[in-house]
Amino acid sequence: MVQTRKLKDGSRQVILNGKQYEAITKILSELATKTKASAILFADMSGQLISQRGKTEDMNTTVLSALAASDFAATAEMAKLVGEEAKFKLLFHEGDKRNVYLSNVGDDFFLVVVFDVSVTLGLIRIYTKKAIEDLANALLVNNEEEDNNMIDEDFSTLLGNALDDSFK
Amino acid sequence: MFINWALQEINLKIVYYGPGMSGKTTNLEYIHSKLDPSLKGDLVSLKTKEDRTIFFDFMQIEVGRIKGKKPKFNLYTVPGQVYYASSRKVILNGVDGIVFVADSQPHRMEANIETLLDLEQNLKQDGQDLEKFPWVIQYNKRDLPGAESIDELQKRLNFFGVPYFEGVAVRGDGVFNTLKSVINLVVQNVQSQL
Repeated sequence: MVQTRKLKDGSRQVILNGKQYEAITKILSELATKTKASAILFADMSGQLISQRGKTEDMNTTVLSALAASDFAATAEMAKLVGEEAKFKLLFHEGDKRNVYLSNVGDDFFLVVVFDVSVTLGLIRIYTKKAIEDLANALLVNNEEEDNNMIDEDFSTLLGNALDDSFK
Repeated sequence: MFINWALQEINLKIVYYGPGMSGKTTNLEYIHSKLDPSLKGDLVSLKTKEDRTIFFDFMQIEVGRIKGKKPKFNLYTVPGQVYYASSRKVILNGVDGIVFVADSQPHRMEANIETLLDLEQNLKQDGQDLEKFPWVIQYNKRDLPGAESIDELQKRLNFFGVPYFEGVAVRGDGVFNTLKSVINLVVQNVQSQL
């Protein structure tokens, strides 16, 4: 399972292992092929991009993920205000040339599908639904033993130096 | 915090919080203007026509690889105005560290306190505790005539004794020190809990 730890202060730490990442990327590739979507993004609800597929070279996907996560969070608040007890599961933005389809994957992740208006929404819905199930399963893959000392003392000293260099 | 083992990436979310017009966006703008283009992404601002933040500002910065790991810092601001309370709550989702940008002008003391209590409340609703959370204070606008004394600001706002910095964000004074300090706190926080 994707490792989610609650730290003492209550903040959340999500750890994705190599196998999960590979599986996720494979699912996104399949979805991109089947739907002919322009771009597909998989991200964490805090707005951090995890994986992407499609023609994303000219797209600022880091910013797109941050905006999409806020979009989700804002509509979750809207749901509460209008008396909807669950969160809205999907968001759809319709444009003249391109549409954006956003859907949550469990509580912690979401999927963004950007596609041309020539692609029908029905097609996107069908394949995305299947991909979401697959992604949910991929996130259940067991964690292999990873080095938990990713951030050791040495690391913070080096990070401090790197920050000093960048901030000159 | 989001860790991707496959790419050796560590993603941290830092949020600049504070009352309206205290200089949160100015902090981000200064950082953006000074960093090497290879280390920063676009600065995105969701603003009203009057140039006030309506939802948030966002920018991602990197410092290259450290021991093979790639730390990425996602910096956000919140809208300071009172009636954007829900937007502030939304942006705190998944936050790892907070910079509270306080306005040093005496007539903004109440707004500082109110926003700080709003922060505490929002964290609490999410099961987090401001007392144990990694955060720092920046007393901004120190250059303005009649700015409140640091002693007074400390007494009224820094009740948990977190690190604090004096800032003049438009000139960049204190901006990097503040950011570096909060990043350090977040990293220490993670270390102590592994």
